[in-house]
Amino acid sequence: MTFSSPYFWLFLISTLALHHLTPERWRWLLLLGASYLFYWWQAPYLPLVLAAITAISYLCGIGMLNTDSGFRRGSLFWGGVSSCILLLALLKYGSAGLLPGTSALQTMVTIGVSYYTFQALSYLIDIRLGLLPPEQHLGYYALSLAFFPKLLQGPIERGNDLLPQLRTGKPFDYLAVRSGLLLVAWGLFQKVVIADRLGMYVDTVYNNLHAYQGLPLLVATYGYAGQIYFDFAGYTSMAIGSARLFGINLTANFNQPYLATSIADFWRRWHISFSRWILDYIFKPLQLGWRDWGATGTALALLITFVVSGLWHGASWNFVIWGMLHGIYMACSVWYRPWQKKLHNWLGVSKKPLLKLWQIGITFQLVCLAWVFFRANSLDDALYVLQHLWPLQTEPLQGLLMIKGDRELYITTLLLGGLMTTVLFPSLKHGIHTLFTGRWRWAAYYLLVLIILVCGIFHQGAFLYGRF
Amino acid sequence: MTHRDQLNTIFQMVFDDDSIQIHEAMTANDVDGWDSLSHVNLICAVEHHFNIRFNQPELLVLRNVGDLLHAIGTKLEQVA
Repeated sequence: MTFSSPYFWLFLISTLALHHLTPERWRWLLLLGASYLFYWWQAPYLPLVLAAITAISYLCGIGMLNTDSGFRRGSLFWGGVSSCILLLALLKYGSAGLLPGTSALQTMVTIGVSYYTFQALSYLIDIRLGLLPPEQHLGYYALSLAFFPKLLQGPIERGNDLLPQLRTGKPFDYLAVRSGLLLVAWGLFQKVVIADRLGMYVDTVYNNLHAYQGLPLLVATYGYAGQIYFDFAGYTSMAIGSARLFGINLTANFNQPYLATSIADFWRRWHISFSRWILDYIFKPLQLGWRDWGATGTALALLITFVVSGLWHGASWNFVIWGMLHGIYMACSVWYRPWQKKLHNWLGVSKKPLLKLWQIGITFQLVCLAWVFFRANSLDDALYVLQHLWPLQTEPLQGLLMIKGDRELYITTLLLGGLMTTVLFPSLKHGIHTLFTGRWRWAAYYLLVLIILVCGIFHQGAFLYGRF
Repeated sequence: MTHRDQLNTIFQMVFDDDSIQIHEAMTANDVDGWDSLSHVNLICAVEHHFNIRFNQPELLVLRNVGDLLHAIGTKLEQVA
């Protein structure tokens, strides 16, 4: 049951109706039950994994609260952290067939496990650092990990952000429900209209690479940049919108990442909850520990952080190289940055608007170069793409986009126009409906629904980031 | 010169901006150029200036300038 399936909408509406019929003090129980049911629907054994991670982190957190012994606190912390990581590694890499003796796990679905395990780890680390008091109510804590809108693909929430919201009941708020529904519709548009249609072209090329060279490879790579953004941003809009129906505000995960002016800026705008996580819990401890090494220590910390980020996405050379490329970009910027301002002043371009456009363009190309490794089915495929991008053979537009007939051409043109406007105009980042106010807003709502129904692709289903 | 004045001078030097006036609630969002890369330069400059050494947990809980001032004060008391 994915967010783009009609079963999910039925589930969402039923849960919302029951939520508002349930007395405030028992709403956490209803949401917890609904979340476990939603997770059971993905695969019947998954709620057991969720319950195990919940139990480990909750008991270790409470244990740290109830002891004055530094040794015991440390043992509980390290015991909790290592148990969560071991369970995650066993399921993630065992299901991928990468661990010896785990053949029984190879057919397992592990959707969502990485996300709530990272949330549980941040909970334990924040308690250890004294930044968060342990949650004593097991129900609220279990719900903070299981809450179904963010269970499968995040955002990876922090205890300080989510737990206080779960403790306080929210009365029915028409404006919150309306904006939640609009976000769900906007996310659905991004997923089924834009991402899945781009995906048809990208998959055709990337799953049969040796039939192509030149421009189709380039267009497919840029197409994948669009597909992965709209797929994940679409999911996130639907997650944030669904949570808002229940009066819960989730963390924003995207802020127009392809308008970033540097790779560091890109990571402040892309998968924000994940990049905050790796920054706070991997990069900062390494960087501060190696601060006596100066720029070399920071560069090394960046490289290791991004390799770990690659491994989180999957244990394959493609993901390692994707992470390593981002680590190398960031490490180079550590040495380049002190000279950047001087270079711009020397060239006389520091206040020129074209400088920003240049930086956005270069950053986008670097990100797309790394996406080649992320998308390709193997390392050989990724190298094939890079070796056969040039020369750029030109083909007629219809042949290039592999579309037949006028209807598909119109739809594709409309989609690319929509894609460009949503990427480029800051006011549109929350949806096309924000263009219209007053009496015209209903025209925008109908237009959005019409485009979804006419242009949407409803048989693709799965979200790309669900497999991480 | 108070610790706060000395810290203000360090901020102006690290972020190359003489107009910076620190206050307790100031965070990285309030200072142009204060990101995770320049943060380590700030910490090194503070440690060098006050001749102190923070451990990792002390650094990981800093959330604003007020926390940093408090940490400097505590560390200097321990040294004295």
